[in-house]
Amino acid sequence: MAKKKSFAARKVGIVGASVTPFKGRWVEKTFYDLAQWATRDALKDAGISPAEVDAVAYGIYNDIFERAAIPEHPLQGIIGLPNKPGIRVTNGGATGIYTIASAFAFVASGMYDTALVLGVEKATDCYDFVSRSATPEVIKTIAWSGDSFFEQKIGWTASDSYAEVILAYMDEHPGDLKPEVTAKISSVLSEHVKTNPYAQRQFDQVTPEEVLNSRYIVYPLKEMEICVYSEGAAALVLAEEETAKAIAKNTGRPVVWITGVGLSNEWSFAGKGMNHWGRIYSHHVAAQQAYEMAGITDPAKEIQVVELHDAFIQQLEISMAEMGFVPMGRADALVDDGLMLDGGPISVNPSGGLLYCGHAVGASNIMSAWAARNELIDKGKHRALVHGTGSTICQYGGVAILEHED
Amino acid sequence: MEQRKKVIPESYIPIEASRTLRMEDKDYLLMNDAMYTFYERSMGEFSQFFMALRDEKKILGCRCSACGVVRCPPMLTHCPDCAFAPTEPVEVGQTGKLLSTPPITYFATSMFLDKAPFGRGRLVLEGADTALSIMLYTTTGILTPGIMKKGTEIKIVFQDERTGQISDIFGVPTSELTPEQAQKPGLLASELNWAAVKEPDLGQATEEAKRASQGTLVELEALLKEMSASKRASKAIENWKRTIAVKTPAVEFGLIIDNGRIWLERGRPQSSDFVMATEDIRVLLDGLDYKGAITDAIVKRKLWISKNIEFVTIFKLDRLARFLAREKKEGAAKG
Repeated sequence: MAKKKSFAARKVGIVGASVTPFKGRWVEKTFYDLAQWATRDALKDAGISPAEVDAVAYGIYNDIFERAAIPEHPLQGIIGLPNKPGIRVTNGGATGIYTIASAFAFVASGMYDTALVLGVEKATDCYDFVSRSATPEVIKTIAWSGDSFFEQKIGWTASDSYAEVILAYMDEHPGDLKPEVTAKISSVLSEHVKTNPYAQRQFDQVTPEEVLNSRYIVYPLKEMEICVYSEGAAALVLAEEETAKAIAKNTGRPVVWITGVGLSNEWSFAGKGMNHWGRIYSHHVAAQQAYEMAGITDPAKEIQVVELHDAFIQQLEISMAEMGFVPMGRADALVDDGLMLDGGPISVNPSGGLLYCGHAVGASNIMSAWAARNELIDKGKHRALVHGTGSTICQYGGVAILEHED
Repeated sequence: MEQRKKVIPESYIPIEASRTLRMEDKDYLLMNDAMYTFYERSMGEFSQFFMALRDEKKILGCRCSACGVVRCPPMLTHCPDCAFAPTEPVEVGQTGKLLSTPPITYFATSMFLDKAPFGRGRLVLEGADTALSIMLYTTTGILTPGIMKKGTEIKIVFQDERTGQISDIFGVPTSELTPEQAQKPGLLASELNWAAVKEPDLGQATEEAKRASQGTLVELEALLKEMSASKRASKAIENWKRTIAVKTPAVEFGLIIDNGRIWLERGRPQSSDFVMATEDIRVLLDGLDYKGAITDAIVKRKLWISKNIEFVTIFKLDRLARFLAREKKEGAAKG
């Protein structure tokens, strides 16, 4: 267990946010234009100019997707921030949450008063000329992320590595993650996405039966229980307390404060003393750190909105258990007890999640923060949790707590 | 001299070309491209592990001089749990038990399309405390859920041709081996009895079933016509060309895919790329009609295909069904 986390030196709030439409493919735009678009809209939302932004943190997951080794360097000038600090973050699927945490640290430490969080990803330019489709090449590109000595050459994929953890959990809790429950959750998320005009699958509502009937991609994961690869960008404007309040006064949009941040990377190899197989310990540890910082003792009672990195529905359920919303082994309570159903106490992925809004990797968790902020302000809710996961076997975990005081 | 295999198969490499795509009255350019780097990779401290696979058909781990934990794969020269006490190489066994139920990959990356379906599990070998990631096969045909579970005993098998990499080995359930094979260190793939690909015996159809199948064929023809006409759906079979010989007890026909179009030709086709066999033609119709995936029909052994590698075509047929269903539904949602 990690040591007690030091608290932020300064209060940090979100004062602007944006996403571009997430699409299966952006033939009309390069990642330069997507990044500039998200920046433009986020600064407009905050009512500030690039001159008022002190620093930027870029979330771009995979060099091979962007087809360039330091893909962020052209962006510095394009987004109007020449001669200012820029740091690029790449942490697998958890890139977005780690980018938010990095910009948060910039501002909380007192180093800068404002910072831009900018995530962007192009993925589906990857193309397999043999099967004449993008997906096998997209997942191959991600498969360069497996261990290069022991796993890449035996067919490692992101899906099969998450499936390993899910199956290990199911070995320990055979009655949980029932197929009808995962099917219901996918269906619920497909209803949420209806109100997200930026989503890749806004009009793709599915019934639980359709989910149950969808094909296996990697056993035990079915096609409609898996997120879809997407292209797009998302951005946040962060500011320290006084600056944030001044911006909020100007825009009329209240500040959403980041009151807790937790991060954790676990071992990627399994076995004695190396891993808690069948658990996603990184999500547990990250959540505990964030709760401690935010002063949360009972997340299920104190958090109303969760924007969770749903790479896979089964993993969504385990992550909710690891973060303390439902007991381990009883994650199906999310549906069986109505916790995340309409009228239930917790709104999970009002954006539609990565399954329905889409997974534009570096931008995904930033999109989730954008959605959580909207939910807090527009629906007058108090507290939200934003979650990210990534790398092999859900190795990386990140959690941020957002609060709205009004 | 025998032609050595290239590190990138020739067939993967696109030609230098570009194309133009029209989107909302504007043209956009798409360029064939690649980002490539070649390596002469240092295997460093793992050299002994991989050379032992290649030359001696042995599996090595490492033992911590302080806590005694044996890690396989050997991670690393010093123990991260014992203030970096040094470790020493040790040989471990070639059978072990699965740490958890292994996933099965049906839809693989472009580099593994011809190897799916395959399992990848975490195997704790005898004499080791940690798990080795390993590719898993069954010798009894297509790998389906239930064959391997947590605790299933697995035997390591060595490829006959080895180059000193992790793909030199894979695992099969010990229960599929003879006692001699299970005992033998350095068991080779060529020593296994791989069940031959055999077409299933479909039995005889009744006259009534034959009559009913004619109606199903008409339904199928109508659906395929709809698919070929849908711009969205036909994207799933864009640039794809296959002739599938479909065999059922009641009826035989050819299912033809040709660059975005799909249709059936009655009677047995003169030649085909692969055979699809099922007792009930409805299984195929339901799959194409988006009532249960064709992939799952294969997984549940309701439908049989003659070539594993043609899973790629099955995936295209499942997508075709989904695209058509989605187009209809989105049309309805948008009003």
